[in-house]
Amino acid sequence: MSLQKSIKSTGDRGDQADNTSICSSVTTQPDRHGFFGGAQYSPEPKRTLSPSTILKREQKWLRMLNNWEAFMSKNYRKVRERCRKGIPASVRPKAWLYLCGGQLLLEKHPHEYEELLRAPGDPKCMDDIRKDLHRQFPYHEMFIREEGLGQQELFSVLKAYSVLNPKVGYFQAQAPVAAFLLMHMPAVQAFWCLVSISDKYLSGYYNPGLEVLQRDGDILQALLRRTAPAVHRHLARHKVEPVLYATEWFLCALTRTLPWDSLLRVWDCFLCEGVKVLFKAALVILAGTLGDAGARKRAAGLCETLQLLRHPPPDVLAERYLLTRMQRLPLSEDDFELEHQRQTARRRALRDRDRDRRYVEMETSRRAVRDAAAAAPAALRKRLQARAPRPRPQVRGRQCTVVVSSQ
Amino acid sequence: MAKTYDYLFKLLLIGDSGVGKTSILFRFSEDAFNISFISTIGIDFKIRTIDLDGKKVKLQIWDTAGQERFRTITTAYYRGSMGIMLVYDVTNEKSFENIKNWIRNIEENASADVEKMILGNKCDLDAKRQVSKERGEQLAIEYQIKFVETSAKDSLNVEYAFYTLARDIKAKMEKKQEASNPPGARSGAHQLRANEQQRKPTSWLSRCSVL
Repeated sequence: MSLQKSIKSTGDRGDQADNTSICSSVTTQPDRHGFFGGAQYSPEPKRTLSPSTILKREQKWLRMLNNWEAFMSKNYRKVRERCRKGIPASVRPKAWLYLCGGQLLLEKHPHEYEELLRAPGDPKCMDDIRKDLHRQFPYHEMFIREEGLGQQELFSVLKAYSVLNPKVGYFQAQAPVAAFLLMHMPAVQAFWCLVSISDKYLSGYYNPGLEVLQRDGDILQALLRRTAPAVHRHLARHKVEPVLYATEWFLCALTRTLPWDSLLRVWDCFLCEGVKVLFKAALVILAGTLGDAGARKRAAGLCETLQLLRHPPPDVLAERYLLTRMQRLPLSEDDFELEHQRQTARRRALRDRDRDRRYVEMETSRRAVRDAAAAAPAALRKRLQARAPRPRPQVRGRQCTVVVSSQ
Repeated sequence: MAKTYDYLFKLLLIGDSGVGKTSILFRFSEDAFNISFISTIGIDFKIRTIDLDGKKVKLQIWDTAGQERFRTITTAYYRGSMGIMLVYDVTNEKSFENIKNWIRNIEENASADVEKMILGNKCDLDAKRQVSKERGEQLAIEYQIKFVETSAKDSLNVEYAFYTLARDIKAKMEKKQEASNPPGARSGAHQLRANEQQRKPTSWLSRCSVL
């Protein structure tokens, strides 16, 4: 039994005003994943596979890791199958490093991490990173101490990335991903995994503008329409847009959403198969949470629906349910590819139309001012013509409103 | 299903990352403070129904991520808001300077008559203070926005801030309603003046504006 104590009494979190009410409690013993409390805390031991099965799988994985190149190029399906079954905990960190290509990057640039750490770094980025260090998995043993080793390493990894890729710099969603990686491997390995995930797996997610995230929201919606039309209808009726419920799912690669056992299994697949695994998980969560007509009826509104999606029922997020349903989704590789192309084209068309509309607006307003000038007395005419706007390439619709006041 | 409230107000919390938007909202909705918060990614919301002069007012409060990169998705939610809380951190000069940018953001994206309020949060941390209360007040006067210093940790002025904003929205709403169906005896003297002021800068030429 765990002894419930307030954070203050553990002495881990520094000074605390007496009138501060602590709404969360922590235990003195971490769970098997290192959590003292919070949403991720899972006290009951996992029902594990038999020791002989685990041993057999470990041996298979070790053999595979020793012949990695050969397996990946000739027998990818085998790798995928083994990832889907779940990577044994003992080899997981190494397997992840290999799967995502972090190992290759590390071998190619053996001293780069240390060099990046020596660079000064953009002050704005450093500032942003520092503000987030104590706000990632605050109940995990690695990050619970203010300015403890875990938080220092988190800073290093995020800083190194921001120096390596100044175009992205630091984006807040990278912090939970980096912290999650640090729970499994040394900082330098976590760094190269983060590089690979940010630049390859979630390519474009962290770029300014968040265009890719919004497009992926459209793709998710379109796939939901096929796999769970009733849920899709419900979300559309109440105007529950993907940006409201799926932003954190996608940007943080579910690290803040799933219970730990499910998360590890989903990441086994994610690092092997890519971002579509996140889509599959999202589709299962949506269908599991709102698939039942009764649930939809109870969630009769935007807020009610969002509330439910923010805290999906535990059995929907449970390892076995989630993973089984994900693999059973009637979606092929081609379906994903096709929807990806369709939504990309759709967004491009919308953008073009928007640009054309803005151009027409500009032209119309210029003509209107010209006409007004022609009708106005001569003195006014001169002033108006001087003010007639010229089309600028990047003007937003609302900004190009021309109000000519007589002052 | 019977409606359990008389009014529904949509409010929005904006401001730099780490100024305490989520903590303020948590204090208001749960009356608690948690030092172990995680950074907000995207958009979140909380609901609280308050009693205002005998009316039940349901507040739907949207909490946004502060980092600039999120603005492309958060600004879409400015338009539907009736009230916006601009939050800065009194121990962080930059977050105060950025209030001007946030106001510009509101002007560009929110409806013109949105109610606003500036909150200087973390006022319990006096030793680390970088922005004096006077500077906060000065800024508020400059923009003609109400201002108050708050502490989500010590539960200082958080209730007051939300009640004030809600009351202002309610007053504005009732005034509008009154204007659209005027009662027998008209009592909207300053209402008319307000309208007049708004109409003033427009002229016949404003018809060439393309909206």
